[in-house]
Amino acid sequence: MASTAGRRPYEGRWDGLWLLGPLLLFLALLLGFPAVANLVYSLSEVRFTGLWSPRWVGLDNYATVLADPAFWGAVGFSARFAIVVTAAQLLLGFALVLALDPLIAKRRWLMAFLLLPMMVSPALLGVMYRLMLNDFVGVIPQYLQLVGFSGNLLDADWAFTTVAVIEVLQWTPFAFLALLTAYQAIPGELVEAARIDGAGSWAVFRRITLPLMVPALAITGFIRFIDSFRVFDHIYVLTGGGPGTLTQSLSIYIYRTFFQQERIGPAVAASMLLLLASIVVLRLLMAQMLRGSRG
Amino acid sequence: MTRLVAGLRWVVFLLAVLILNIPVIVTLLTSLKTTLDINAYPPVWLFAPTLEHYATVLTDPALDFPRYLMNSTVIALGGTVLALGLGVPAAYAMAKLGKGTTTILPVVTNLRALPLVIFAIPFYLLYQALGLLDTRLGLALISCIINLPLALILLVGFLQDLPQEIEEAARVDGASTFAVLRHIVLPLARPVLVAVAILSFIYSWNEFLFGLILSTRNAVPVTVGATFFITSWGVKWGATAAAMMLSVLPPLLLGLVSYRYLGRAMLAGAVKG
Amino acid sequence: MTNILRKTLLAGLALSAFSSAAMAGEVTLLFWPGPESEAMQKVLDAYNAGPGKADGITVKQLLFSRQGYFEKEQADLAAGSSEFDLALVTTYTLGRYAPYLDPIDAQVPAEAKAAFAPVSLQSLTLDGKLYGVPTDISVHFLYYRKDLVDRLLSDTEWQKRYAAIAKEKLGREMQPKAPDDWSWDDWIAAALFFSTADNPDSPTRFGTVLQMKNLIFNIMLWQATLVSNGGDWLGADGKPAIDGPAARTGLQVYKTLIDAKATPPGSISYEYPEANAAFQAGQAATMLQWNAAFNELNDPAKSPTVAGKVGLAPLPAGSAGHKSHVHSLGIGLNKASKNKGDAGKVVAWLATKDAMTVYAQAGGTPPVPEILKAMASARPEFPLVGDFVDRYGFVVTGGTAAYAVPVYEVLAEKFSAFWAGQIDLDTALKQAAEGMAERIKG
Repeated sequence: MASTAGRRPYEGRWDGLWLLGPLLLFLALLLGFPAVANLVYSLSEVRFTGLWSPRWVGLDNYATVLADPAFWGAVGFSARFAIVVTAAQLLLGFALVLALDPLIAKRRWLMAFLLLPMMVSPALLGVMYRLMLNDFVGVIPQYLQLVGFSGNLLDADWAFTTVAVIEVLQWTPFAFLALLTAYQAIPGELVEAARIDGAGSWAVFRRITLPLMVPALAITGFIRFIDSFRVFDHIYVLTGGGPGTLTQSLSIYIYRTFFQQERIGPAVAASMLLLLASIVVLRLLMAQMLRGSRG
Repeated sequence: MTRLVAGLRWVVFLLAVLILNIPVIVTLLTSLKTTLDINAYPPVWLFAPTLEHYATVLTDPALDFPRYLMNSTVIALGGTVLALGLGVPAAYAMAKLGKGTTTILPVVTNLRALPLVIFAIPFYLLYQALGLLDTRLGLALISCIINLPLALILLVGFLQDLPQEIEEAARVDGASTFAVLRHIVLPLARPVLVAVAILSFIYSWNEFLFGLILSTRNAVPVTVGATFFITSWGVKWGATAAAMMLSVLPPLLLGLVSYRYLGRAMLAGAVKG
Repeated sequence: MTNILRKTLLAGLALSAFSSAAMAGEVTLLFWPGPESEAMQKVLDAYNAGPGKADGITVKQLLFSRQGYFEKEQADLAAGSSEFDLALVTTYTLGRYAPYLDPIDAQVPAEAKAAFAPVSLQSLTLDGKLYGVPTDISVHFLYYRKDLVDRLLSDTEWQKRYAAIAKEKLGREMQPKAPDDWSWDDWIAAALFFSTADNPDSPTRFGTVLQMKNLIFNIMLWQATLVSNGGDWLGADGKPAIDGPAARTGLQVYKTLIDAKATPPGSISYEYPEANAAFQAGQAATMLQWNAAFNELNDPAKSPTVAGKVGLAPLPAGSAGHKSHVHSLGIGLNKASKNKGDAGKVVAWLATKDAMTVYAQAGGTPPVPEILKAMASARPEFPLVGDFVDRYGFVVTGGTAAYAVPVYEVLAEKFSAFWAGQIDLDTALKQAAEGMAERIKG
């Protein structure tokens, strides 16, 4: 059912132009200058005092960034963070789908309550968590102490877990929603037929549900991975990337390099490297997805 | 047995709602506590509620909270309408006519991977030259760019799976692409359009960095305005919590009203073999 | 390079350039929201009603969110924005913003300067030029529970326990002293005594509460341990001296306390509000903290547990005596302002005693010793602020330079990592010195 390349017999001659044109024009006009500026900045030494007069340094910034252990630390953190939270969101989301589908199917309005966490700005959320995690007046330590936990949630041992949990709590609803849709779209007849043939719940799940859910899991995982790799707001507000650089995500690294260390060139170069990585990964993924949809 | 299972499902649901929404619940409670109660050690759960923080937020002379809410609404709506206006035809071209799937779609999707901070200064300079600084239009354009990647992914996915037959029938009757788009595709695509609209609205609404850098006094969005109670000498928790609750209301209402469409449209493209 | 950028931009839609037409007589002051701006508003109201009326000038505040304030101000100034004529400047960002500011020596002549504490003017001076009128001074106090320390000084049982703990943990028997005379060791001993980890009978759970989050302000607080022991950022040769013995001692003071659990384990991520919360809740017996906290801690409506029991002392002394980091908030003049004449007049007026008196009465802490002394009854900590600023105040070498914030950043990163146990002391000092050298050269 996938459309093929090449013009159809009745396609208008200018269709491509007026359908894609506005988008392309918009992107060119709005992103043209910033894209060029960033490219130039990544290859220059530029200061805030001289934003219009960068000084060419070739690939120096890229070399600096690639040689900076803090960069790799940030990449490592972002990667670990993204993998962990995406996996958690997919698992939790899927589990919730299996547990709650019959309930939601009958009362769709219940979903609103599960989607609420997504509607809070991550920056403000981080601020509120500062209050909630406060050792003395915060509710979370209060209840953790009731179950015998007396560590500190933002220290070297727990900081990663804490920021990861916050992310999972906020975005699992996204995964839940996506997976629920795919789940509800599984044709009932398939399941019926299988049951008539005597298949048990587990077999139905393994042979029918799971394979049909794989594409949904892939897309959701992909979207959430990109988003959590870029995580910034709540971690910055809560830990500032600390203790030390323990929770410094790549976005925080770039932000710090850009604004606080005022090394604009290296900051942009690091972003370009990220873009490069994203292009490669996306290429591979799209190849996989297109292959899958043709199957 | 089934009654027990049904009951368990309710328990799971309630637990999930409670746990996932802990921050929102605590914020709501905080916004209703007096400052003394907020600073109480150990924390209190039973308290005499007060609306003073909401009053503070809405009437503080140094800020203009209703205006921030209006700004955010205009910006988010503008950005959403623009993203749909640009994205729908483009997605159609990509999904049905096969144009741009190998070039534009990857480029736009990769945009989503970039940390936005590096665009802060170039956009500032650009907007300064164009007179778009501190304007709602300027921020709406930004919010459109932010939402285009996700919009395109979802729209292309959905449109790819629209049945060909209806379209073909219209074509055979001599309909132009424009007519097909307007009379056949758009009505059928209503679910995904609403979905993209809601998600775009939410993402635009929650944007902070560009709202901070590109606005000064006229176009300040509510995400920035709500941080006005964070001072050098501590955070005014009550007011901040009230500001946060107020700023959650519009997207929440929007979501409540349209949650139905969110689900169905999400992965139309994914569940086909 | 310049050409490429410019051409690209013009190739777009170059509409009319954005100009903020500053009406003559209207002056805009950029500030951040909070108690300072509330107090400043009263000052501006007084101006607009008085001298402003005579000169035909009205001043308005423009507030940028405190979150990301410096980034926003940086972007605006770098792009030559004329949206504001006067701007908030701070000691540690002075070097970064100086290229976009006009010095105000002309508007603030010597007589006006004489009213201000010298170190406050120094904290807003770069290369011999004054860039801002210091409106708020920040200095550090050692806060302590008067009731508990008084008891310690008179209760022999407690004193025996104190001596025993000191012997065990610090290697020698010590006797409690009055906080004004404390050395760093005395403070550590007191903190250990007032912690349940070492003294099950302690009236407070923790002897102190430290701020060890990866944050530049926490380094400002900490660096008294450095300077009071004779250290500084740079040596006489202009090279980083942050890996010297004074820094080593200073870092270990904090580490000793956290290892001994004399400060809450959460201190690793504490900054100003969290430390206050701990002291306010009666959980910590002492605290190194900014002067701004006193007002709140001594207010029975806000701090019922500790109000009236809060004592103030200078930060403990090292080999070079008592020292405290000092920094100022001030008002500077935007180079790109379209209304410099009027703005200059406002600046000149802000530097007068009249203006600063209004500010002090509205809640600010202006570094004008005369005013601070005069308000002792309303603000009991004011005379101490004036006194400590004069006697103990210091600005580290390079504290106002353009590299100040980047250096603070790298120190905050390395030192917080050391305190959290991520890296050892030698590594922290070495990397801090390297990082510092890089930022200074940069």
